[in-house]
Amino acid sequence: MTDEYEVTVTVNGRNRASRVEARRLLADFLRHDLGLTGTHIGCEQGVCGACTVLLDGRTARSCLHFAVAVDGSDIRTVEDLADLDELHPIQEMFHQKHALQCGFCTPGFLLTAVELLESTPDPDEATIREALMNNVCRCTGYANIVDAVAEAAVQLRQGRQP
Amino acid sequence: MKPAPFSFVAPESLDEVVEALARHGDDARILAGGQSLVPLMNLRLARPEVLVSINRCRELDYIAVSDDRLVVGALVRQIDAETDPLVAAECPLLAQALPYVGLPATRNRGTVCGSLAHCDPLAELPAVALALEAELVLTSAAGERRVPAHDFLVAEMTTSIDEGEVLSAVAFKRQDPSEQSALAEVSNGGHVFPVGGVALRWASEEGVCVMARIAAFGVGSVAQRLTDAEAALVGSDLGPAAIAAAVAAARSAVDPTGDIAADADYRRHLVGVLVERGLLEGAAP
Amino acid sequence: MSGDPQGAVGQGAVGQGAVAQGTVGQGAVGRGAVGQSVLRREDDYLLRGQGRFVDDLPAPLNTLHLAFVLSPYAHARILSIDVSEARALDGVVDVLTGTDLAAMVKPIAAQIELPGYSFNTRDVLAIDEVRFAGEAVAVVVAESAYLAEDGVELVDVDYEPLPALTEIGEATDPDAPQVNPTVPGNVYYEGRFATEGVDAGFEAAAHVISEDFHSSRVTAVPIEPRGCLAVPEHAGNLVFYSSTQIHHLLRTALAEFLDVAESTLRVVVPDVGGGFGIKAALYPEEFVCAALALRLRRPVKWIQDRYEALLTDVHARDNHYRVQAAVDDDGIVLALKAEIRTNGGAYSALPFGCTLETTGGARMIVGPYRITEYTYTATAVATHTAPVLAYRGVAQPVCFMAIEGIMDRIARRLELDPAEVRLRNMVPTAELPWTNIVGVRYDTGSFVESLEQAMEMANYDEFRARQEAQGRLVDGKYRGIGICTFTEVSGTGAPGWRARGLTRLPGFDSGTIKVEPTGKVTAFVSHAHSGQGHFTTFAQVVADELGARLEDVTVVEGDTAAGPYGTNTFASRSAVTGGGALIRASEKARLKLARLAAAMLESTPEDIVVAGGQLHVAGVPSRALSFGEVAETAYAMNTFDLPEGESFGIEETDFYDPPLVTMANATHIAQVAVDAGDGTVDIEGYTVVHDCGRVINPMIVDGQVMGGVAQGIGEALMEEFVYDADGQVRTATLADYLLPSSVDVPNFQIAHIESPSIDAVGGFKGVGEGGLIGAVPSIVNAVADALFDLGVNVNTKPLRPALLSRLIREA
Repeated sequence: MTDEYEVTVTVNGRNRASRVEARRLLADFLRHDLGLTGTHIGCEQGVCGACTVLLDGRTARSCLHFAVAVDGSDIRTVEDLADLDELHPIQEMFHQKHALQCGFCTPGFLLTAVELLESTPDPDEATIREALMNNVCRCTGYANIVDAVAEAAVQLRQGRQP
Repeated sequence: MKPAPFSFVAPESLDEVVEALARHGDDARILAGGQSLVPLMNLRLARPEVLVSINRCRELDYIAVSDDRLVVGALVRQIDAETDPLVAAECPLLAQALPYVGLPATRNRGTVCGSLAHCDPLAELPAVALALEAELVLTSAAGERRVPAHDFLVAEMTTSIDEGEVLSAVAFKRQDPSEQSALAEVSNGGHVFPVGGVALRWASEEGVCVMARIAAFGVGSVAQRLTDAEAALVGSDLGPAAIAAAVAAARSAVDPTGDIAADADYRRHLVGVLVERGLLEGAAP
Repeated sequence: MSGDPQGAVGQGAVGQGAVAQGTVGQGAVGRGAVGQSVLRREDDYLLRGQGRFVDDLPAPLNTLHLAFVLSPYAHARILSIDVSEARALDGVVDVLTGTDLAAMVKPIAAQIELPGYSFNTRDVLAIDEVRFAGEAVAVVVAESAYLAEDGVELVDVDYEPLPALTEIGEATDPDAPQVNPTVPGNVYYEGRFATEGVDAGFEAAAHVISEDFHSSRVTAVPIEPRGCLAVPEHAGNLVFYSSTQIHHLLRTALAEFLDVAESTLRVVVPDVGGGFGIKAALYPEEFVCAALALRLRRPVKWIQDRYEALLTDVHARDNHYRVQAAVDDDGIVLALKAEIRTNGGAYSALPFGCTLETTGGARMIVGPYRITEYTYTATAVATHTAPVLAYRGVAQPVCFMAIEGIMDRIARRLELDPAEVRLRNMVPTAELPWTNIVGVRYDTGSFVESLEQAMEMANYDEFRARQEAQGRLVDGKYRGIGICTFTEVSGTGAPGWRARGLTRLPGFDSGTIKVEPTGKVTAFVSHAHSGQGHFTTFAQVVADELGARLEDVTVVEGDTAAGPYGTNTFASRSAVTGGGALIRASEKARLKLARLAAAMLESTPEDIVVAGGQLHVAGVPSRALSFGEVAETAYAMNTFDLPEGESFGIEETDFYDPPLVTMANATHIAQVAVDAGDGTVDIEGYTVVHDCGRVINPMIVDGQVMGGVAQGIGEALMEEFVYDADGQVRTATLADYLLPSSVDVPNFQIAHIESPSIDAVGGFKGVGEGGLIGAVPSIVNAVADALFDLGVNVNTKPLRPALLSRLIREA
């Protein structure tokens, strides 16, 4: 029952191979096996979205996936958004607009925003709010997050490179 | 919480899936998107010995038209069905309903068939399956059988999937281009689950309603067709009196129970409100 | 507003014998960081996913993991616990029960000194009897979190279920089971207060307005669950990392209940993913984790899951209020009676105890109003439910739901506008300072101004005119507007806690300013952040008060080994107590800098001007030294001898204990639409005019307000923690305990009035809780206003669609 399985995934552009128990949650695999602790665990019930990552380009709950079951996938986590010198425009707007307080839910929100703005470069407020239902924030009251995403959309449309 | 230990297999074909199910019997569960199953496993409320992932079965990832049916394979993610032109053209009700299912991240991974197999009383898709007179395709080592939605959906978290069977596809009835349809639901705010809702489709010829299908969810242990409400519409002009009759019929057809989300009286009242809302909003240009 | 930093400085200095700008050696010239929306220093690394929350800390490789066995019953006798199978599991190191832990940890207890309070204790793991669903009865220690949970499943507990109490009303039934052996009749505490003229007030009244208000049980649900990591060090010392708001209080309690020397313990608070008061409690898991690390001589880690969080985090707000107001024909309240009953849960939780809401509501309900005759009875009862303690706002969302609900009912009875009734009863600014009927001083404030400004921003009069012209029901929606004007207790000092029986709760906080040899500044403060932006705001305060450059100031907090003792971070206190302590410490450090500079520049301290990280002789800017140049003298790193009488280094500490309380205030106005068909509520407008005295960082203050309002929206419309009649939890996941999402919370209009405190150093008042406090009453009142024509009574929360639909249908 505690057999281990080979898992090979691409995480933030790097090939990562490991052996895991079948029950190893992707969130734990990323956090504790790969050291990518920016992906947080808030509920393990699929509701809060703190563990959101991009799985093959789309947001997914890393607490609702087994590492073994996403073998072969491409995964992107919050650690991949910024480079050493500059934040991603979405991150920068979160900073400018005070769209984070405790910061625990923030990585999930950022990846939700990345997904939204890749598919919908010019979202209206209602679209942004619908998309942000992906994640729960208990600190900010959302308004500043909505503003940050809207402003990041402007920046990205004006050609600021992520 | 963390899930209990289990073994994992990820066959690459439906035949192999069926074989694995035959081998492991009741100990096995199918893993598709996992968006309903894994939360239960994390709480150890579900603890399969073996997970049989169908995620490598590319043959199950298809949306196709077959005769009067739109067939959605077991690996079709909800988000892909939501944005699929064939779904929009052939089963607009399904396309209307999918944005209400779960959250974007769970729709990215959850499958149409998975939601049906999970059979949550608050899920939209079972009601959509009833309204679209779906047939559920169950495949096992013994072959394939097709089960109408109303037989498939047995009770809360209970379907007619037998040991050794996998829900390999769902075949919805194609909607006529002249049809109208709507999905209406209400939630307590917050995330994830509605209190209740209805899925409707209907057609009129020369101002007279000639067909109506209405199904409700959140009003009992499983989604429910509201045939009396349908009957109140067919033959009518869909005017206020007919709608009022359908609303009354819908309310008397359901026998909800109360829970922490809403009391039974509200759920009964709500089904009427939503039938009316669906008919009015679905009819809007 | 705070657009003029110089203006803010002038106000802010009030209360500390401020010195005019340019007063040498004493006044930090060139202030200006305070009052600015300085972007946060915390953000960059949090945005990069580099934040270090307790589960992100690198734990030593030999760390053990805990999982607790939780009682499925609300009330049961523990007949036996068989741990043999669990202990035999590979990877399980040990399994311990209540009796095992009792040998390591004393029963924990809140120290409340109120007449008639029933002292009670809690075993960190239940022994013999469980008293709420989720109470831990055993703990599994294993090599991984997964294995620990496997072990939990193998612990075989034999329970004999017993009848459970969950409701306030049941607790005092004569035949009710006694929840706690030392709490007779299930009454933890009953407080009484009365002024002499209450009866006369009621006799003289033209009207008596009465209402019962009910508030559902809620819990804070910070997105980061709780957790801790205990790492043994040399000589039996222990470093204890915890997701807590109260590191010093935790350390003292660990020492006390584990019976170890406090000096061997160091509590460190890493990044904390929201606290909102529930992390200002001291929990059994913390004691167990620390005890096991000491006993097993290995690092021990426990990370809570959401299921445990919902069941075992402290809860709040399960309160009943019966309020009666004696009112004259003008709507003036002549006397007020309040009968307050709060559900304290199964144990009196540490450190504030089960009377926190009870005494809080009783003392705060009079709010901004000129209530001159008042009586209350305030009762805390025991039930078989999770312990109740602090959640953002504590009693205030409910007591203001009550008093603001009464104001609206007075208006309806007398056919006055609700705003007018409030204005007639409010203490006008000209009469401040005002000491209220329970002895709390409102030093400054803006009750009337905040209401008037909020009404203007919300277009209140237009809204009323439209209601008048069109009626409340338009296009299938009932529209209403609701007001809450309130006082907000913040920055409570020792006298304030003593008044509520919390004699062991200190009140003060500390600050240490260290000017390093390079002239850079480290500011230590006895607080711990959970998202408030302390690294930024405290640096703003220090920069101004020390005369340093903002970028040269680094804030260190959340570590008992770094800086002296304090009361820590809860109850809207950090700006007041930490800010006050840092101001005092900064002043001492500034004076020392000035003395040293004077010696070096052959001037006198009185002639030294401090600004922008430089010290110069007044009127001679060229005779200047940088902080670094002066610091070199202090650290003997140049050829200049330390002046006689000076000690080495520049490291100054001070403490600040604020007055009884520091009273902020605000008005919230909510505009809602209630769907006539399905009973859902849309918030169509939300306005806040807030007064937290001198604003340190408007951006952060707005963030606090908006976040609080969002929680208040959740509490008013959807959140409810539910036990069934047997005490079973019905809301054990976030699919059942509903949190507001991005589509449930509107955009906000926010404005600030700054009435700097004249009692508190720095002029700051707290801001952490007001958003939530004002939201619950304003939304409840708005819904009541929307349904006014139906003649229904809205006196409870949450206002879920099913409830509102029933009120509409039954009208």
